[in-house]
Amino acid sequence: MPNAADRRGPGERQLSPEEAARFQGRVSELGDRLGRIKAQRDAEAHADLDAEMRGRGMAHGMRMAAEMVAAVMVGGGIGWGLDWWLGSKPWLFLLFFLLGFVAGVLNVMRGYERMQSEFMARTGGRIGHSVPDDED
Amino acid sequence: MAAANAGTQGTGMPDPIHQFEIHRLIPIKIFGWDASFTNASLFMLLAVLLIAGFYFVSMQARSLVPNRLQSLAEMSYEFVAKMLRESTGHGGMKYFPFVFTIFAFVLTANTLGLIPGFFTVTSHIIVTAALAAMVFITVLIVGFAKNGAKFLQLFVPQGVPIVILPLVVLIEIISFLSRPVSHSVRLFANMLAGHITLKVFGGFVVMLLGAGAYAVLAPLPLLMAIALTALELLVAFLQAYVFTMLTCMYLNDALHPGH
Repeated sequence: MPNAADRRGPGERQLSPEEAARFQGRVSELGDRLGRIKAQRDAEAHADLDAEMRGRGMAHGMRMAAEMVAAVMVGGGIGWGLDWWLGSKPWLFLLFFLLGFVAGVLNVMRGYERMQSEFMARTGGRIGHSVPDDED
Repeated sequence: MAAANAGTQGTGMPDPIHQFEIHRLIPIKIFGWDASFTNASLFMLLAVLLIAGFYFVSMQARSLVPNRLQSLAEMSYEFVAKMLRESTGHGGMKYFPFVFTIFAFVLTANTLGLIPGFFTVTSHIIVTAALAAMVFITVLIVGFAKNGAKFLQLFVPQGVPIVILPLVVLIEIISFLSRPVSHSVRLFANMLAGHITLKVFGGFVVMLLGAGAYAVLAPLPLLMAIALTALELLVAFLQAYVFTMLTCMYLNDALHPGH
């Protein structure tokens, strides 16, 4: 095969069919191993991100409760103070207590919106996959 | 927390609240005001000295390739700077020293409190309330100084029908006023609850050990206490992070009230 011999560069030699088969086998094995390592690394990175987000989720959750209670307390406090000042017991207290409740819900909603956008920005909505699900 | 064993009552259960008691170490009176140097003052001073000492020592080398201490110092800088830049933009970096000081103080005070026998400054609402009030007043001053009367736009959301606007403004004002409360209560409550839980589980170990055959069960609450200590370390960091994060958010409102 003179043509094939011409295309070979210096230092290369014709592979025997067995050698070529072994080489192909090695290449595909290497490819498989690389694929496995890559998949494992991706899964690990994902689990890390999940763990981080779980920590943050915990912090956010604790925040929400405090947010709600604080607003009700402040609302009730303002109403109580105004009642005490204007002598209109108990009406302003009741009104501001309810307004405080509304403000608390507003706080929680705003907090949730922020949390949601932060999580979406970090994870693109793919979160919690490293946690085993009962349904699966 | 070890010191709290002194508070053992007749029941054999160590008093979980004892660890939060304040003692006068050096009584000082100024015009009738009690300004004594207490154990709380001592641990606040310790936290400040530790922070200042750490950054002084770690930045001594100022090498281009940082050693361990220097890289820790740089990491903490990057962490807070990123948080501040993300929530307030570049204009907010002016307030970096303030925000970083708060972060360093809260984190150091939280973690110091985890060492047995140490006093947890941040488990006292007066300390966290003072920090939150500092942030609140800063936000008010910066807000009015930067935007003038425009700062009041914060209370007037856009696109609200004029009929219910007064109600909405009232709600927004209550929401705004509730910030320093939730800001301080969260940190205080987390630290208080965590330390009480740790103490109660520690107390269970002691009680079981003193209860004859039940002593074989004593390792169970001990394991729980160990797990809780790890959790508390996480909470100590998370709460410092949340406190700083909220500070950044509130500063952002002061700088850009129109959202």
